[in-house]
Amino acid sequence: MSDIKALLAQFDEISGNPRKMLGEYLANGEKVIGCFPVYTPQPLVTAAGLVPIGLWGGQVNPQVSGKYSPIFTCSILHSCLEYGMSGAYQGLSAALMPILCDTFRGTSAAWRAGVKDIPLIVFIHPQNRKDPGALDYMIEEYKSVKTALEKIAGKEITNRALANALTLYNKRNAAMREFCALANEHLDLITPVARHHVMKAVTFLKPEKAVEMVGELNKALKDQPVCKWTGKKVILTGITAEPDDLLVSFTENKVAVVGDDLAQESRQYRTDYPSANSALESLALQWLEIRGCSLAHDDNNTTRGKMLVELAERTGADGVVLCMMRFCDIEEYDQPYVIKMLQEAGLLAFSVDIDQSTTDSGQARTKIQAFAEN
Amino acid sequence: MSETTPMKKPKRPLPKSRVMTNELMDSVYAAAFDAEAKGEPVGWSTSIFPQELCETFGVPILYPENNAAGVAARHDSPRFIAQSEGELGYSNDICSYARLSIGMAHMIATDPNYERPALAMPRPTFLLCATNSCFELLKWYECLSRELNIPIFLQDCLYNYYEEEPASHKVKYARSQLEHNIKRMEEFFGKKFDWDKFLEIQKISNENSRLYDEIVLMNDRDPAPMNGFDLFNYMAPMVVARGKKETTAILLQLKKEIEENIAKGVSTFGSTPQDYRVDWEGIACWPNLGYNLKTMKKYGINCVTNGYVGAWSLKYTPGNLDEMGSQYMQSSTNVNSTLTTMGRRADCASHFQCDGMLCHVNRSCKFMTYHMFVGREIVEEKAKIPVASFDGDQADPTIFNEAQFETRVQSLVDIMKQNKEAKR
Amino acid sequence: MFAVGIDIGSTASKAAVITEDGVIASKAIVPIGTGTVGPARVFAEALDRAGIARSDVKWITATGYGRFSFEGINDQKSELSCHAKGISHLLPQVRTIIDIGGQDIKVMRINEKGTLVNFVMNDKCAAGTGRFLDTMAKVLDVSVMDLSGLSQRAEEPAEISSTCTVFAESEVISKLAGNVKLENIVAGIHKSVAKRVASLVQRCGIEQQVAMSGGVALNKGLVHSLEEEIHSRIYVHEDCQLAGALGAALYAWDHLQPA
Repeated sequence: MSDIKALLAQFDEISGNPRKMLGEYLANGEKVIGCFPVYTPQPLVTAAGLVPIGLWGGQVNPQVSGKYSPIFTCSILHSCLEYGMSGAYQGLSAALMPILCDTFRGTSAAWRAGVKDIPLIVFIHPQNRKDPGALDYMIEEYKSVKTALEKIAGKEITNRALANALTLYNKRNAAMREFCALANEHLDLITPVARHHVMKAVTFLKPEKAVEMVGELNKALKDQPVCKWTGKKVILTGITAEPDDLLVSFTENKVAVVGDDLAQESRQYRTDYPSANSALESLALQWLEIRGCSLAHDDNNTTRGKMLVELAERTGADGVVLCMMRFCDIEEYDQPYVIKMLQEAGLLAFSVDIDQSTTDSGQARTKIQAFAEN
Repeated sequence: MSETTPMKKPKRPLPKSRVMTNELMDSVYAAAFDAEAKGEPVGWSTSIFPQELCETFGVPILYPENNAAGVAARHDSPRFIAQSEGELGYSNDICSYARLSIGMAHMIATDPNYERPALAMPRPTFLLCATNSCFELLKWYECLSRELNIPIFLQDCLYNYYEEEPASHKVKYARSQLEHNIKRMEEFFGKKFDWDKFLEIQKISNENSRLYDEIVLMNDRDPAPMNGFDLFNYMAPMVVARGKKETTAILLQLKKEIEENIAKGVSTFGSTPQDYRVDWEGIACWPNLGYNLKTMKKYGINCVTNGYVGAWSLKYTPGNLDEMGSQYMQSSTNVNSTLTTMGRRADCASHFQCDGMLCHVNRSCKFMTYHMFVGREIVEEKAKIPVASFDGDQADPTIFNEAQFETRVQSLVDIMKQNKEAKR
Repeated sequence: MFAVGIDIGSTASKAAVITEDGVIASKAIVPIGTGTVGPARVFAEALDRAGIARSDVKWITATGYGRFSFEGINDQKSELSCHAKGISHLLPQVRTIIDIGGQDIKVMRINEKGTLVNFVMNDKCAAGTGRFLDTMAKVLDVSVMDLSGLSQRAEEPAEISSTCTVFAESEVISKLAGNVKLENIVAGIHKSVAKRVASLVQRCGIEQQVAMSGGVALNKGLVHSLEEEIHSRIYVHEDCQLAGALGAALYAWDHLQPA
């Protein structure tokens, strides 16, 4: 029990202080690559002997970035740019940026103009994922990322090194999925905030460290008696569910988070790198195998809705909260059908605004409370 | 609203080229309804999808973006937008063309007696989506695909961050998609693809693109023979019928009219002196086009050129699928980096001897707004002209504000005036 | 023993007292909200009117934007649940509730028990809220209370197309400068708010009957505009402004009952 508390405290500390993590890596003489959300080829970074670190912006009211970013820039990329321009990300050797929406296209332009000291490595995922040319393209595109990283690392990324990294990341993913399953048996210990901190901290950790720490936590959880949760249960979907205040209001209202489909959390850990002819092909194939994500076009246009209904059934959730990243058009297009499908399945589904530019989550708290009361 | 769009109440009889344009548009819409009546396939397409494919198959296509612009210019957009934001639950942050067309699609699908707009579209049986103009298109078409339960033919066009022309692996992917889409269409339409006809269509499309560019360039004269806003009207055949011979005829007629204007020393801008030549950036503010034009005329401004109207000029060697794929992967300002796009805009403003640039910060068009915010420095530095911007939207009338627009235009005029006086 | 519900909004404070037998003993409204002396004053006033002392109160439930910051309460409930319960008590046939608050627009669907079935709220923007009306009244130099009467005398609502408060303000100013009749401008403002609210109502889904709660419901001109936009009659109870406080009081009253 005290083990678990101590372990969770470590995750709290890491998830709340990415800048400190960066400082430690740099002090160790390591080179660090910032990874924009989401689906960056982090195994390449690891295979190059570099350290990948997640860039998730933060609760900040953007000031300097307003020069290049319109007010309707999605909250998360706005704060990432703000941190880039104001020097908070200093020390990164480069930043990996996927182009998964128009705001990414725009932010790449703004970064080029406004952040001179951190080179951007831009790459583009193919959206026509069932096209026979998509895989070849993705491999070639990752090769250009590989070349850029090799230059920074000063060494070649071999097929073997990449294959080892892929295995490591798959192990990490498995540990994260196990953690999610165990968390649901210990909802008294793994509060929504604690769950989030574990999920987020891993994005700031080297994969081997993540496997070790999450493995330890999982082991400690298994030793605890299963908790019979009597409060309500929800699933979170969206890009991120922050800040902590928002998650605290779940706890205040005796609502547990029993699953998520957040880009910052489970979406990162649910698709493994499959076996393939080469390590690069495996890396590329993973993108083609991602399902039910708003950022990856799917010919089956209701996959996400169906996945959420299934997840709710499997976990016994009473409702689903769509954590709507302010001005994220990608999620906004999915919002109506997802909410409708969930409501038709008999679940209470509603949206709350996620806005990093303010700490006021009054409206979201009211909604969560109303959900718990009815 | 006091304005009337030039489209609605022409003061003068329309020039022949405009009459021909209207006839062509009517026939394109009629063909689509005809196909619907016969139970044949009809498509809805994003505006820069390789139209050559369906033109070759002889399957009619309509363009929701073009349609939305027309509906908005006729002040009929609010009810469709309200349908999307209300019952359907879409956020008002998403593109207004999308909100408009999803609302319309819902009405078409659920209410056979819905009040049709002046430019009604038949119910489509498939969708064509190219992601060159923006990324939101893909999400929008996913919604249409769910709303209407029909498939999407996707031509994914990749953003060019590092290069001016797509790298070779991107071109390969573009070509693969063209070939694969042709195969899927053969199955879907139950027809063989006629490669000879395809070559013909490619030739016509290229000829039209060449002619269109030539016409746009004719406005570099001072005074300009054309009211720059005319191009917003002549864009339509390029969007909707780039692969048709009728478009060639329209462009040849238009070219003739402009040449006549030049010879006579007149302009479609009218008798108002063209005191200032301005580069208009961004899509037209369709619901307010009339007011915009009236205000600019008041200050003697002719928006002689505009980066947006040229998005449909795609030039490649007919028969060369790589070149064709590459063209689609680099057309429209929003698939290219700001350096490339705004660098070109600055060059263009210089070529057209513009005194200033007026940017429509279109609430619906996120990446274009970045181009303007980030590119402002590039334009000011390269073309050495003042840049002003105003808030508006391509179809949602709740964003634009007359007072703000006039104030911004006035300030731009003040600076342009000072600059001119300083040069003397 | 008495139960008290107190609704601390962003622009007004409301309170209701209920007796052991479930009868409303008193009601009070103070036109200032959270962060002011409003909550304390409305509480004192409600007790005073009921003729009871603080020690007679067994349970206090708070609701509204300022529900976390009032001292001495026993528990707090969300505005959504309280409006649902309050309206359900006042108008039992109602299934759809529209509440326009100082900074939130809420649309709720409830069942016959007064429990929430679905709800939708506005995004973070003042457009269409009570605050928007306050701003517009200030620009027009009239009292918010006069908006209703003015708009009912309008011949043709002026077109206010902008939903942005700042831009709508400039539109209103230019209408004033253009000598558009004040009545028509007010009606135009109401229409623009009604359109905005209507889209949220459509999103939540309408089930008959429809009622409006909150102080803005007293603005008949606006209610009429909204009826036109949603094509439905809207019921307004004379105590509409107290619906939240009453709902809170009813929740508090549950605590007076033997377990």
